[in-house]
Amino acid sequence: MTREREVLAELRRILADLIGNPMPLDAPAKTPLLRDGIGLDSLGATILLTRIQTLFGVDVASEDLNLDALASIGTLAAFIGERIG
Amino acid sequence: MIKCVIWDLDETLLDGVYLESPERPPPANEALRAVLVELAGRGILHAIASRNPPTAASYAAHATGLSFAAVRCGWEAKSAAVAAIMSDVGLTADAVAFVDNDALERAEVAFALPDVLVLAPHEMTDAANWPAFSPPVLTDEARRRGEFYANRRARMAEARAFGGSREAFLRHCQTRVVIAPAAPVDLPRLHELSVRTHQFNSAGTQLTEAQFAALLDSGSQRVICVRLSDRFGDDGLVGACVIDTAAAPAGRWEVQLLMMSCRAIGRGVIDALLSWICLAARDAGADQVGVACVINPRNVPLRIALTSAGFRTETRSAAAGSAPYVRRLDPPLPELPDWVLT
Repeated sequence: MTREREVLAELRRILADLIGNPMPLDAPAKTPLLRDGIGLDSLGATILLTRIQTLFGVDVASEDLNLDALASIGTLAAFIGERIG
Repeated sequence: MIKCVIWDLDETLLDGVYLESPERPPPANEALRAVLVELAGRGILHAIASRNPPTAASYAAHATGLSFAAVRCGWEAKSAAVAAIMSDVGLTADAVAFVDNDALERAEVAFALPDVLVLAPHEMTDAANWPAFSPPVLTDEARRRGEFYANRRARMAEARAFGGSREAFLRHCQTRVVIAPAAPVDLPRLHELSVRTHQFNSAGTQLTEAQFAALLDSGSQRVICVRLSDRFGDDGLVGACVIDTAAAPAGRWEVQLLMMSCRAIGRGVIDALLSWICLAARDAGADQVGVACVINPRNVPLRIALTSAGFRTETRSAAAGSAPYVRRLDPPLPELPDWVLT
């Protein structure tokens, strides 16, 4: 659980850096990543997945072909958390 | 294929050090200036990453007589400047080359961004002849690529200042998307898109003009083109799809190829095209739309667009190399914004 909280905090920092705005730092975990949530477009989400792969070694795009992990900040943190144990 | 060359200035694009004589800056290096002009004519973009004040970039544009698609002047790491430029022009590392006279800077970029092609200035004159710098076909869209990216910079600057939603911004820019059947005059650009698109390409195979011509003549397949413009400029033909409609009515439309230029990223084009396909399929009596999509690390943006438009796959492993993404045409179906003309 602690690990997942660490992932969540790190993910918020990456998102804030990516969109150049501190909003993700205290957005609820259920905030969607795309469109009206954080507002990532498909390229922004791709850059996010690349950073996650570099940082955590988790290749979300090839492990989750339906990309359900991208539903919200929380689902993505949980997906990463489960894989890095 | 290299689509953008990022240049250092001091002792690279300029024959000297800019800040040593700001009143009388050094001239452009003639051999490299010739390379710049040649590559720009092939539709390759140029950008500047320099440890200098921003005035150095305006000076370099004046001295070379060329426009630069993106500029990063400052004292950050060169790899950070290169990454920022990649994001500005919407390209991945393997479509970018970096030219710098300083071996340490080259090593730093090569270490941080291993997919970037890193070259010394003397290598660049020769590299211009390499296949990676020689696009096989050149359409009007490709020749005007530098202009499109200059428009893109202006649009992005305005987007940063704009407070509203993305949809509101697209409206604010007077975005126009036109979706219409392909005509023979579109064949060279269709072929070019099939060669040059990777991030938004479902098939991962290239089609010749003759193959597209055969599709235009076929009774059961439809080739659909997407054109894009806004008040910053006309981007021309930016995307297309090939649909096998033989199974409809009461069957499934199969999208055999879906492709879009990365210059159209973030401008509502792929979502508009996917919505249009679903609505047209429903109107033709089909009950679902399928997109056979290759699974590779480069087309992640397309797969994100597909899944966020409601397409799903039963395939669980990327090892298969491709997966059918399917959307059932049960309501609610997406609506087409009024700036999409069909």
